[in-house]
Amino acid sequence: MADPARVRPEAGRPEPGEGSCSSTSSEPAAKPRSAAAAEEEEEEGSSSLHPSPAKKLKMEHDKKKEKRQKVDEDEIQKMQVLVSSFSEEQLNRYEMYRRSAFPKAAIKRLIQSITGSSVSQNVVIAMSGISKVFTGEIVEEALDVCEKWGDKPPLQPKHMREAVRRLRSREQSPNTKHKHILFH
Amino acid sequence: MAEEEDDPGFDEDLDDGGNGVDSGQGKRKRLFSKELRCMMYGFGDDQNPYTESVDILEDLVIEFITEMTHKAMSIGRQGRVQVEDIVFLIRKDPRKFARVKDLLTMNEELKKTLKAFDEANYGS
Repeated sequence: MADPARVRPEAGRPEPGEGSCSSTSSEPAAKPRSAAAAEEEEEEGSSSLHPSPAKKLKMEHDKKKEKRQKVDEDEIQKMQVLVSSFSEEQLNRYEMYRRSAFPKAAIKRLIQSITGSSVSQNVVIAMSGISKVFTGEIVEEALDVCEKWGDKPPLQPKHMREAVRRLRSREQSPNTKHKHILFH
Repeated sequence: MAEEEDDPGFDEDLDDGGNGVDSGQGKRKRLFSKELRCMMYGFGDDQNPYTESVDILEDLVIEFITEMTHKAMSIGRQGRVQVEDIVFLIRKDPRKFARVKDLLTMNEELKKTLKAFDEANYGS
């Protein structure tokens, strides 16, 4: 998520239009790019029609960075609008969604008990993050199953099991029954 | 933990290490019960999820972490778990990949900011 204070205000730049939700750098849209190209080349001061490869790379990178920051800005604004219109129960749920996390100490202990050696902090951070996404996928799938079977929350073990079965058949969840992993 | 609905047959399954879905992990203490409850509520479940569902989820998460760890140990530098290995293993799953990248980037930014802050405080 970009820090809005970091973004330089660019007057006269056309709005991208689409509100794409991906914060990883996706394919840049054609329209803002050509406008940016005109600006960038003027700024660089090079009158040549073919800037050197290094300059070209830098320009591309800057364009992509600005586009990404613009998209992030839009996303942040939209999120603010959305969150401001939440009911109290939704606010509660959203707070739980953002704040809940696995305890780093327990994760670290778990990983270290498997490897037998110590692991860096980044590994623990990455693993906790992935685990949270993993539980999110299962819970969402289980809610789909629950709704499809005409039941109501709270979720029951049969929904969870069906959700896991579905995720495994789609290969979104690790399945050790069919893959044999050889390691020393 | 008061688990009235557990039948005593669960404690027999101590040899079942990998598949935590159909049978419980036996006598292992519950590591994530509180956090998992909050998480399930955040993801859309009821405010008070069933204990059995929480248990199933915990077993699944532990199985997931165990499996990732084993895989990470077998690629790259053997016997060690490094971030690059995790990123490599996750590359096919777009959600998890994006999440890991975000987390690591934010962490780097945070460290840089804190470092700059410290240096500003304690002289040039």
